[in-house]
Amino acid sequence: MPATIWLIPLLPLAGALVNLFFGKRLGRYAGWLASATVGLAFAISLGAFFALIRLPEEGRELTATAYEWITSGSFHVAIEILIDPLSMTMLLVVTGVGFLIHVYSNGYMKGDPRFGRFFAYMNLFVFFMLVLVMADNYVLMYVGWEGVGLCSYLLIGFWFEKKAASHAAKKAFIVTRIGDTLMLIGLALMVFQFGSLAFGDVLTVAGVSGVSEGTMTVIAVLLFCGAIGKSAQLPLHVWLPDAMEGPTPVSALIHAATMVTAGVYLVVRSHALFSPTAMTVVAVIGLASALYGALASVGQDDIKRALAYSTMSQLGYMFFAAGLGAYSLAIALLVVHAFYKSLMFLGSGSVMHGLGGHETDMRVMGGLRKLMPATGGMFVIGAWALSGLPPMSGFFAKDPIISYANGTGHVLMWILAIAAAFFSALYISRILFLTFFGAYRGDKHPHESPKVMLIPMGVLAVGAAFGGLLTLSINGAIEHFLEPATGALHEAGEGLPEPLLIAISIVVALAGVATAWLIWGSGRVDWVALRERNLPTHEMLAHGFYVDDAYANLLVPTLLAGSRFLSSGIDSGLVDGAVNGLGRLTERTGGLMRHLQTGIVRTYALAILVGVAALLLILEVMR
Amino acid sequence: MTTPIGYYLVLSGILFSIGTVGVLVRRNALVIFMSIELQLNAVNLSLIAFSRQLGDLQGQVLAFFSMVVAAAEVVVGLAIIVAIFRRRRTANVDESNLLKG
Amino acid sequence: MSADQIVFWILAPISVASAVLMLLQRNAVHSALFLIVNFFCLSVFFLVLGSPFLFVVQIVVYAGAIMVLFLFVIMLLGVDQRESLIERLKGQRFFAIVLALAVAAEITTAVRLAAGLAKAPPAGFDAVNEGGNVRALAEVLFKDYFLPFEVTSILLIIAAIAAMVLTKRRFSAPEPEGADASVAGETEETAA
Repeated sequence: MPATIWLIPLLPLAGALVNLFFGKRLGRYAGWLASATVGLAFAISLGAFFALIRLPEEGRELTATAYEWITSGSFHVAIEILIDPLSMTMLLVVTGVGFLIHVYSNGYMKGDPRFGRFFAYMNLFVFFMLVLVMADNYVLMYVGWEGVGLCSYLLIGFWFEKKAASHAAKKAFIVTRIGDTLMLIGLALMVFQFGSLAFGDVLTVAGVSGVSEGTMTVIAVLLFCGAIGKSAQLPLHVWLPDAMEGPTPVSALIHAATMVTAGVYLVVRSHALFSPTAMTVVAVIGLASALYGALASVGQDDIKRALAYSTMSQLGYMFFAAGLGAYSLAIALLVVHAFYKSLMFLGSGSVMHGLGGHETDMRVMGGLRKLMPATGGMFVIGAWALSGLPPMSGFFAKDPIISYANGTGHVLMWILAIAAAFFSALYISRILFLTFFGAYRGDKHPHESPKVMLIPMGVLAVGAAFGGLLTLSINGAIEHFLEPATGALHEAGEGLPEPLLIAISIVVALAGVATAWLIWGSGRVDWVALRERNLPTHEMLAHGFYVDDAYANLLVPTLLAGSRFLSSGIDSGLVDGAVNGLGRLTERTGGLMRHLQTGIVRTYALAILVGVAALLLILEVMR
Repeated sequence: MTTPIGYYLVLSGILFSIGTVGVLVRRNALVIFMSIELQLNAVNLSLIAFSRQLGDLQGQVLAFFSMVVAAAEVVVGLAIIVAIFRRRRTANVDESNLLKG
Repeated sequence: MSADQIVFWILAPISVASAVLMLLQRNAVHSALFLIVNFFCLSVFFLVLGSPFLFVVQIVVYAGAIMVLFLFVIMLLGVDQRESLIERLKGQRFFAIVLALAVAAEITTAVRLAAGLAKAPPAGFDAVNEGGNVRALAEVLFKDYFLPFEVTSILLIIAAIAAMVLTKRRFSAPEPEGADASVAGETEETAA
């Protein structure tokens, strides 16, 4: 493997370091530099892609090792990378979408006092994400995992003067930490069972067959817990809506296209470890999150929060697919989702920019497609894709998953997936209509965004529109490409015939769009009054079924009380008390001993005499 | 001679103990010094008794040296006491307690 | 009862008594005098134990030189200084006596265990003193112990010089009384 492959992660790292130290001096060139490093990484990734497909299908795997990192007895960890179809796909998504968003940020973050540092963090994030997807062992992957968590924290809290932002950053870090810790326990179990954490040792048939199913299920579920945290699935999703406090490019890159998808990547990569039980867990949580996210999104007034819940929902679909065994479908949706979701986030950023600042409340938007035609048009494409209507890419990625669900015979799951699809179409159309249609309800002067922001959006829009060409329903290019890593897609045996399933999906999606049009787009329904009449329901949806509130009011006080007990009771009281007590004891003993030093010779002489008498006694007794 | 040597040794011990009491109980530096001399003499007595017992003159030689060194020690010690007395106008050893902790 | 036994049983109590009395005197001169008595007794013991040389040396050096020196210094420091009877250190007297008795008892026990109290000295010691005790002693001293002998002589010189240095008054500075008093006062304060 040519050494240039190593440049893929190292270029963004270099960019991050340069911007960290010299960002201020570089001024607006910091943004150019950052975009250039990611762009170059993308170019090299493309080169690697072409090199990869030149290899025969069975051997589509390039590995390289930099050096032995950890050697502890028989446990070895190396800095090693693996380029196979799965990681190649992720590489292209991360560097490609990352590059576009970096370009966009040049416009969006213009004038920010910490411009250079923003790009340093963004490049650092890309570096860690690349480490994550290129790693050939779980340890290195975990390094990337933690690194992206760190960068997420730094970027969410980028405008740390805002209390909400710094709180959100903390929340994100802490909640994902819960998942990360469980994942770490899973890794430890893996070492215990397999003696190694390299993919080559753990994920092969030979490695897997030596372990009992129960243990494997536990390991797989623990790994999945890390994914739950990172990908904001139930019940560790509470950080994602709050993470929208960060700048919009951050939301687009990290919380739509890349970091949150790391969980999906993990599950797909580790699929050899997932027993049927573990897979059921994944599917159930994925489906539940899909439905939950869709419903909660309907109740949000903040455009970014609505999109955040949407991301949660779409990720749920990906996990649902993975849980059913359709790994390549999950990845296909990941790729397509990266396009249209980041497009819509950038679009919302464009709207915010056009409205003069940080306006995100959709209630004071409306009619913006006339005032911001380019943004509006592209947002329509994105929403169209998400609804799952042909011919946009979403249809070709989401629909196969729902059909596959039907094919497995799990009727209830299929129905719920359909329901989620209905609500998905509903919420995204709601966002579209509230923001871009009707009359403008606000009091600002909306204007279109600069080209540096619109062009990346345009590229993403092309991907959102035509990405379907690569997926299963047309020619299965992506799925076929992924086969060496994910295993072949089993044809679903049972269930309704394919055309009927497709028809049902389309009808459901259209129903969602139509309902949204009726309520929020046409002007025929007073949705404000509708909301007032159904206030409890609305509030429940707006607060995400009060999950976050439950955590805040039940879980957090308990933990804080426990912490306080440990901190003041045990740490200050016991530990410090012991240490201080030791000091005081020494002091007091010294104070007592001090009286031996009378300064009077005769007492010293008496002491000597005592010693002499004792000594003589001992010597005599010893006879 | 027919006195058992043991008697001399016990006598030496008794004199030594008396000297010890003197060192500890008296406060006059000179009397303390004299008690020390008493102790030294007690030891000399036991040395010479052992010399007799063992038939070896080395005991006497050691006692001889002990006397000489004691003389030198007395000289220096008294000089020190005189020097201290010049400062403090008192020969009370309890007064020299500057090393009190 | 042979002569040496009589001598022993007369002089031993006297030496013990003089030692005790030495302790009990309030006047230092009286203490010194009792000590001289003790030294005389001891010197007779030396004679009985077969060391006529040391009998003389004890009297000449100890009683004659050292005690005289003591008396000089006592006179120098004030012959009428009387020590107060009050003991300020609690328990000092009690423990001193008890422990000293213990030590004496231990020594007695040790002697009894080791040599036995009834063992008479072996005969034949006179052979050791052949040619006179002085001559025999000189043989041992100047042959085997020559080096310590020389060193001890140097020690004596050093002691003499030390005594001179330590008691030297500084006659150069023009504030003899005032300096002494202020210095004494200073040290009184820090001692307090």
